[in-house]
Amino acid sequence: MIPAPFEYARPTSVDEALGLLAGSDDAKVIAGGQSLLPVLRMRLNAPELVVDIGRIPALHGIRDVAGGGAVAGGGGAIEIGAMTPYHELLASDEIRTELGLLHDAVASVGDPQIRHRGTLGGSLAHADPAGDCGAVALALEAEMVIAGPAGERVVPAADFFQDLFTTAVGEDELLVAVRFPVHPGWGSRYEKFVRTAQQWPIVAVGACVHMADGKTISAARIGLTNMGPTPLRARAVEEALVGVEPTAQAVGAACAAVADGTSPPSDLNGDADYRRHLATVLARRAVLAAAGAA
Amino acid sequence: MELIHEFTVPADVATTFATFDDVESVAECFPGAQVTSVDGDSFTGSVKIKLGPIALTFNGVGEFRERRLAEDGSSGRMVLSAKGKDKRGNGTAGAEAVVVLTPGEGTTGGPATDVEVRTDLQIGGKVASMGRGLVQEVSNKMLGRFTDCLEGKLTGPAGATRG
Amino acid sequence: MTTTEEAPAAPADEIGRDRRRKEDRRLITGRTHWTDNIVLPGTLHLAMVRSPFAHANITGIDTRAAAQAPNVVAVLTGTDLAATQGVLANAWPITPDQVTPEHKPVAVDRVAFAGEIVAVVVARSAAAAADAADLVDVDYDELPAALDLRTAAAATPENGGAIAHPDLGTNNSAQWIFDSAQAGTGGNVEDAIAAARADGIVIEREYRQQRLIPAFMEPRSVVVDPTGEQITVWSATQIPHIARFLLAATTGVPESKIRYIAPDVGGGFGGKLQTTPEEWAAFAVARRFGKPVKYTETRSESLQSAHHGRDQWQKLTLAATNDGTVTGLKVELLADLGAYVALVGGGVPVLGAFMFNAIYKFPAYRFDCRTVLTNKAWTDAYRGAGRPEATFAIERLMDELAAELGRDPLEVRRQNWITHDEFPFTTVAGLTYDSGDYESATAQAVDAFGYEDLRAEQARRREAGDPVQLGIGVSTFTEMCGLAPSRVLGSLDYGAGGWEHAEIRMLPTGKVEVVTGASAHGQGHETAFSQIVADRLGVPFEDVEVLHGDTQVAPRGLDTYGSRSLTVGGEALALAADKVVAKAKPWAAHLLEADPRDIEFSRGTFAVSGTGEGKTIQEIALAAFAAHDYPEGIEPGIDAEVTFDPVNFSFPHGTHLCAVEVDTETGAVRLRKYVCVDDVGTVINPLIVAGQVHGGLVQGIAQALWEEAVYDESGTLLTGTLADYLVPSAADLISFDTAHRSTPATSNSLGAKGVGEAGTIASTPAVVNAVVDAIRPYGVHDVEMPCTPARVWRAIQDGSAS
Repeated sequence: MIPAPFEYARPTSVDEALGLLAGSDDAKVIAGGQSLLPVLRMRLNAPELVVDIGRIPALHGIRDVAGGGAVAGGGGAIEIGAMTPYHELLASDEIRTELGLLHDAVASVGDPQIRHRGTLGGSLAHADPAGDCGAVALALEAEMVIAGPAGERVVPAADFFQDLFTTAVGEDELLVAVRFPVHPGWGSRYEKFVRTAQQWPIVAVGACVHMADGKTISAARIGLTNMGPTPLRARAVEEALVGVEPTAQAVGAACAAVADGTSPPSDLNGDADYRRHLATVLARRAVLAAAGAA
Repeated sequence: MELIHEFTVPADVATTFATFDDVESVAECFPGAQVTSVDGDSFTGSVKIKLGPIALTFNGVGEFRERRLAEDGSSGRMVLSAKGKDKRGNGTAGAEAVVVLTPGEGTTGGPATDVEVRTDLQIGGKVASMGRGLVQEVSNKMLGRFTDCLEGKLTGPAGATRG
Repeated sequence: MTTTEEAPAAPADEIGRDRRRKEDRRLITGRTHWTDNIVLPGTLHLAMVRSPFAHANITGIDTRAAAQAPNVVAVLTGTDLAATQGVLANAWPITPDQVTPEHKPVAVDRVAFAGEIVAVVVARSAAAAADAADLVDVDYDELPAALDLRTAAAATPENGGAIAHPDLGTNNSAQWIFDSAQAGTGGNVEDAIAAARADGIVIEREYRQQRLIPAFMEPRSVVVDPTGEQITVWSATQIPHIARFLLAATTGVPESKIRYIAPDVGGGFGGKLQTTPEEWAAFAVARRFGKPVKYTETRSESLQSAHHGRDQWQKLTLAATNDGTVTGLKVELLADLGAYVALVGGGVPVLGAFMFNAIYKFPAYRFDCRTVLTNKAWTDAYRGAGRPEATFAIERLMDELAAELGRDPLEVRRQNWITHDEFPFTTVAGLTYDSGDYESATAQAVDAFGYEDLRAEQARRREAGDPVQLGIGVSTFTEMCGLAPSRVLGSLDYGAGGWEHAEIRMLPTGKVEVVTGASAHGQGHETAFSQIVADRLGVPFEDVEVLHGDTQVAPRGLDTYGSRSLTVGGEALALAADKVVAKAKPWAAHLLEADPRDIEFSRGTFAVSGTGEGKTIQEIALAAFAAHDYPEGIEPGIDAEVTFDPVNFSFPHGTHLCAVEVDTETGAVRLRKYVCVDDVGTVINPLIVAGQVHGGLVQGIAQALWEEAVYDESGTLLTGTLADYLVPSAADLISFDTAHRSTPATSNSLGAKGVGEAGTIASTPAVVNAVVDAIRPYGVHDVEMPCTPARVWRAIQDGSAS
């Protein structure tokens, strides 16, 4: 498996990377390479230029965003450099305690080798509908920091995923960081359904639940993986869950319509109907677990 | 894989049929498609598929295998077929689109045509084995854009003339 | 956990000893000669241009752009190679009138499956070859493709069905029948079925053996060096000896001018029991240019083009009395050959023909198999080869019979199996099982499994309507191993024998070189064979060097498959060791100035009875090397060779018990417990046996739950990457509880029965039986393999609805 020949550049700053992208009309950005390399090796793409953003220090790391600005919602936010690999997220106490949903989803990705090389930003920019981080970004209402020729802009996750493999990041732009507001006092669970451990999810549901009174759900956020061309947020279910006691029956009823309006794929792992059914089961389980009732 | 797309055009069947008469305009509805030559009912061209990590260029030939308008203008049928192969030998594509025009009910009481486009796309070779049936997803996406574009072409000008 | 019960008394310390494999350090670190590691000066690299279509005429190949690409030496089509490329032979025509399409390594005017080679790019680097392959422009005219097995079997030119090779006029390659009434080994099965229909039980089922891909770890690779007097071929193959013979036979190059080497080979599972288009093409190109060539396939090419396994439809009719005694079994089989009849492809279902009756005393049996050509990758041996398919069918049926009777599946088996005191037992299929003890293996497994407790838990969950149901699956399997008595192979029209060759060379330094014709590809031959030799000769394990896999070093051999290496190759070695001792004895007597009749050999030393005097075998080896002083009438040397031809197969057996939890809400199947007690005869190295059993279990379980090669309706392989063809990892499995008992085989002096395939053969039905058992209350009596969550869930929905 040898890729077609390409030029290779390894910039050391975001500006240099943007310059390289601006100077080519057939460039691909490589982050951890876990999705792009197989495509190149199978020659399903043969770009003229591959821009490796793995050696740009500014793209690495986990940072508190004190006060949190627009995204804070009172709890502050954590900013993660786009090139931070999964294994660094898993090693971070802060991610585990403050962004449990992200931690769980990342822990389920692929295998140790993939988690070592794969990056959060690479996964989000790739926008594979079966990628685990998209639904998490939606459920946690993350914000994407995108750098381009005109400077940085911030795009909410809800506007980031546009279509199959298509995001708000333009051809001359770079996803540089992701900001996750922290949700103090919320519980979470990423329920992922696979046939083998290292597989992409057939369906996964990420749930965050808040119970202000400790008895009923006061707020919920539900993200869906692989239920359509983009990761999805199940807002109707989120609303239906408000005021619900975390019992299997009540939560199940609230989650029954979680697949409404979705267009999941049919493939060797199951057809669309099966995926719609799975989503209801996984949503119920995720919410109950997030509410501490499972 | 067959994709069925249906829409209604605010024009009669004959007018709608005439709009279809332009090979280049119809063929170029396919995303990334470029017609390089037209010879009667056949044409040659290329389709550049660029979606996320994938970029493939298919070169091939196509033809209108059938273009038939009933004498009384009550129905029309077109069959467009095309086949091509990726320039790197990674795959082959064969497509057939069957367009059926029948008189429809216009919302304003004026003439209308129901258009049904059945598109069957077969992708073979390495690209079809790339994993998780993603090529199918990509194909569906392409077909969707193709029929959306057709709908746009047909409803756009026709709608405008009805004003 | 591995336990040994009732292990036979070891003649010396080496037999039955856990030894870590001496070859593992180099195999695991990769500091060894894998074929792709072999670098020769001036090597040309090949890339294959393969057909994207399942069936098409080649109407034109434009090689100009590719031929002019940088560093390209040539682009060769089938036409260019027609005179030199030879053909790929079928070594086992199962009937005299078998329909066998000619198989050219590089297609000439028509391709018969997606992945078939249509051109070979020859370049100075692998990258240049790959780049240029993109530029070869092939025009095809698509033909209707025969894809679905049952449809293909029914297709004729008259009914307009697609024919895989139109010039042959049929997809049906051969029909092979065994009927116990005709063979005189039993009664007439139709009578038994008719009687059971009148008064008794008839179970009729259709089972599908899905197509599998061997998915060995090391992709296939070949290097051919035509410089020098002999043409040397290195290949990641299981069968250097057979390949050398066939390469000579089909290309006209004298066999003596070909040296075939299988260096270290990274797994095969039957998938490298093949002579391949890639080897043949590389051989032709190397001869054409007079330079070394190398070709190593990509994983995608391997999945698409290396031979696949299984792929059968089984139609089964089992007749029984009302009290559960089986009176007859009828098997009607369709076996998918793929596009060509592979090396032993047609014979794979025939290997299963003798195993459908398994461990049971069926009075009547009929096996009727048709092999069918389709436009898919060819099929051939895959771990178990014919026997897993047979075992699956009968073990599923025995569970179905038990369910029909409302009885415990173990009880029904006990009622029908051959009892320990009935051995040796000649079966309705005509084989004589020499030894076995189904009762005690089963008793031990039941005990280790906690069978009654799990049945109680199952009842509780059913009672409570638990969304997670428990299922228990049973598989009491046997297999025929130790392929094979040459006369039996001859009677089945197989093209070769089943003997194995061994040589022991006693070096003057006291070290021992052992040469075996069994060519290992990861099994641990070097360790197990060293143990046998160390045991028989009384030399240190470390002093034994096992050489194999090179026709110049090990000129005689029939290679490794069918759990034969130990039972046939190991026995040849043991006999050769005995011969060395016998040859050394007169030397010892001479040097000790004693009568040979007074010399006793024990633990490496020849001693004069009743005295303390002795000579070690190493001392004799040195004396024989010097040859200064030895008795008249014998040769100066104590080396020995033996060719061993077994008189019977060996028949390992075992009881496998599996518990699964089925999440009825999602259809997910989770392994809960797996216990097996295998009887593989005498165990040389329990650690290796455990490794074989564990690995075999995983492959068998993978067939039950995960793996399937899927083609789309145009003949494109959809499972063309390991992201889609789901080979499980350790993360998907539980810890197995494996144990063994031993009733020694009588067909070899070691008492060994073979273990390479046992786990794979036994585990598939155990798992599927467990899955079906879990959801039988929902009206389910079968789930097609692999039992994916979607299929299990759908079966529950459909069953509950009916």
